[in-house]
Amino acid sequence: MTSVSPGGRPPGAPRSRGAGPPDPLGDPLGDPAGDLGAQIRLVARGDAGAFDAVYEQVAASVFGMVRRVIRDPAQSEEVTQDVLLEVWRNASRFDAERGSATAWVMTLAHRRAVDRVRSVQKESERERRTAAADIPYDEVAEAVESTLERERVRRCLGSLTELQRESVTLAYYGGYTYGQVATLLGVPTGTIKTRMRDALIRLRDCLGVAG
Amino acid sequence: MKLRRSKTHGREPHTLAGAYAMDAIAAPDRARFERHLAGCEECAQEIAGLREATARLAAAAAVPPPSGLKERVMAAAAMTRQQPPPDSEAAAETEAPARIPAIVPWFRALALPRRMAVAAAAVASVAVLAVAVVFGVSNGSMRDQLNQAQVSSQQIAAVLTARDATMMTGAVAGGGTVTIVMSHARHALVFTAADLHALPASRGYEFWLIGPAGDRPVTMFRPGGHDMLGPVIASGLKAGDHLALTAEPAGGAARPTAPMMLDVVL
Repeated sequence: MTSVSPGGRPPGAPRSRGAGPPDPLGDPLGDPAGDLGAQIRLVARGDAGAFDAVYEQVAASVFGMVRRVIRDPAQSEEVTQDVLLEVWRNASRFDAERGSATAWVMTLAHRRAVDRVRSVQKESERERRTAAADIPYDEVAEAVESTLERERVRRCLGSLTELQRESVTLAYYGGYTYGQVATLLGVPTGTIKTRMRDALIRLRDCLGVAG
Repeated sequence: MKLRRSKTHGREPHTLAGAYAMDAIAAPDRARFERHLAGCEECAQEIAGLREATARLAAAAAVPPPSGLKERVMAAAAMTRQQPPPDSEAAAETEAPARIPAIVPWFRALALPRRMAVAAAAVASVAVLAVAVVFGVSNGSMRDQLNQAQVSSQQIAAVLTARDATMMTGAVAGGGTVTIVMSHARHALVFTAADLHALPASRGYEFWLIGPAGDRPVTMFRPGGHDMLGPVIASGLKAGDHLALTAEPAGGAARPTAPMMLDVVL
């Protein structure tokens, strides 16, 4: 007379391809990212199974990046949940002609993380972040990263000038504005803006991603 | 690219592309750059390329997400309406149609940061609107209902973000689905019902909590203008409770009198 199914999949929801073994890095190499795009198009039609697959592909990257920006684990989790739900809500707005699905998700996630740290500039929060900053996050990170992808990114970061690399690291992982980065590095803002752009162009070319 | 604009600190706005792609840009600059971007296809393409690179920076920072996050995300998604896609036909007619703001999906509005009590008040007012929309609040006693909605929206958020939040779905005998998120830690559950069959005007659906602690009516629902009920919060959840559904006289009953159309062990 009634049936109950625990768990996230509504009865009868199709299981989508790609829901198999988790790939924590969101297919960094080659272009299975096209696959993520296909999954997101299914999500736009309300496919819970596809959303499950999308979660498996992007959650680790989203959470890891958000956590590096925000530091506080509980807040990072909230923002990650928020981001993933936004992927669900706005899947129909993903436009493959304007970039890869991975870039779409990570752009959204980074914006959210940065908005969070900038809206919480109160003293208590700063203190908490400072305290949390004592955790050596490279240690935390060890668990998931595919060494291949991590090495590639590290090698490409290594190909930048020191000023370029520090600008990118402080801006992207630190969540600082270019003005703040300029202050931290004691360099004119005009220089920082230029370095940031040059650095990302070099990273893009080094990583061999579509430009 | 060679165009020189005197306004942006004497430099072409283009140099902001890197900072923009990393969100390393304060709000006023961001808005200014986005205006520039809107009219510069070349810049938009450059930003897209740079974002492929920044996405790799994110991937290189991957760590396993906390356990339980996936269940909460999936449960929240199951109860969140998705944004409609752009309308191909409407898009063909007008370049940039003034879009009526999409209904604030209630969960998004309710996803209160647990630690941000300060922000909560602001969010709550949005949540009230969202809940009002979901509940189909119209004129009349709107203010009372909004006040109630405000209280319940905070309760709903508390259930959905609870660490032990669990999602279940149940099929209603005769048609329809009930989706439940419950938290025993919060002693509450939130549910929605969809696609319930229409009933004669003299009858309505009544939801119950039944269990060792007794049978308690939760809410009445008459499908009519709405094909969806909820989210409804039921507090006072006790161990051993079931969520049940019966069709009762429209005025409601003190205890279930009709056959159970749904019986979910919580």
